[in-house]
Amino acid sequence: MADGFLTASTAIIIIPLLTLALGTLIGYMAQRSGFCSIGGMRDLMMFKHTRLFFGYLALIGGGFLGYFLFWIIIPSAFPNFFWPLTQSNPLTPIPGAPGGLSIISYVILAIIGGFGMGLIGVLLGGCPLRQIIMGTEGNLRSIFFILGLAVGAIIFHAWVIKLVVMILP
Amino acid sequence: MTKESKYKFSNIIKIPAFLGIIIGFFAALIQALIISAGGPEAYGFCVACHTRDLVNGFFNAFTGDSLGLAPISAVTPVLTIIGVIIGGYVAATRNKEFKIKKAKPLIYFLYFLGGIAVLNFALLLGACPYRAALRFAYGDFVALIGIISIAGGVALGVLILLFITKRRGFK
Repeated sequence: MADGFLTASTAIIIIPLLTLALGTLIGYMAQRSGFCSIGGMRDLMMFKHTRLFFGYLALIGGGFLGYFLFWIIIPSAFPNFFWPLTQSNPLTPIPGAPGGLSIISYVILAIIGGFGMGLIGVLLGGCPLRQIIMGTEGNLRSIFFILGLAVGAIIFHAWVIKLVVMILP
Repeated sequence: MTKESKYKFSNIIKIPAFLGIIIGFFAALIQALIISAGGPEAYGFCVACHTRDLVNGFFNAFTGDSLGLAPISAVTPVLTIIGVIIGGYVAATRNKEFKIKKAKPLIYFLYFLGGIAVLNFALLLGACPYRAALRFAYGDFVALIGIISIAGGVALGVLILLFITKRRGFK
C-alpha cells in the first residue's frame, strides 16, 4: 500500500473530519460563486460567457498544481502521477477502476457516461454539485434530485454494474 | 465597485475560478492523505462517488449487504457531501438567499429520475465532472474523453433548450 502523509490508522480518524471540513468550505464558496461545471460549458455555448467555464479550467489547473506540489514533497503518495507516460497504451485508466474490463470498454463507458451526464445535467439546469447547492437554497426540485442520486447509487451497484460487466468484454 | 471593495474576501469568493483552484489544491492534499488508507487515486473530491460511498456505506451497515464501495470507504466514511450541504445551507441563510421554491409533483418526479440517471451515468464514467477534471489533472486520458463527451452532451442539450425556447417564442 502506498504511503501518504499519515499512517493508515491515523488516516481513518482524520479523513472523515477533513472531508467534512473541505466539503463545508466548497459548499460555502460554491453557493457564493455559483460554481458549476456543466453550467460553465452551457454558458459558453449558449451565451459565450466564460465566467463559470474558467472555474472548471481552474479546477483542472489547480488540481495539477496541487498534485505536482505534493508530489514533490512526498512522491510515494502519488504512485501513478504521469500515468500515461509509463504505459504503452496511454488510454489505460488509472488503477482502481471497477470491474476489470478491457481498455476499449472503459473508453466506451466514458463516452456513454459523459454524454448522458452532460445531456441530463444541462436539461435539469446543473451538474450534481450545483443541484446540491440549489437544494440547500431551498429549491425542492433539487432536493428530489439529491434523493435520486442516493437511490441511483444503490441501483447502480445492485444491478447496473453487474449488467455492464456481463455485456462488455 | 471601488478598487478596494473588489479585493475584499467576500467578493473574491464569488469568482468561480478561485473556487476551482481551491478545490483542486485541497483535493490533492486530501489525496495525499487517503492513499495510505487504501483509497483510489485522484479521489480527493467527487460529488457522485462520495455520495455513492456515503449511501452504500449506510445501506451496507443497516442491511448487512455488500454493495460496491471505494476501498477508502470500506474502512472510514468520507463526509464531503454532508459538508457541502452544511456549507451551502450556511451560506444561503447567512446571505438571506434561502427561499423555499415549490414545483409540480411531476417536476419532482422528473428530477428524481434525473438524479438516478445522472448518478448512473457518472459512475459508468467513474467520475462526476469534478473528479473527471481531477483525474485528467492526474494524467488519465480516459477522463479527458469523458470531459469531451460531457461537452458533447451539453451541446446536444443546448440545442434542445434553444429549440424549446424558439418554439415557445421567448427571445
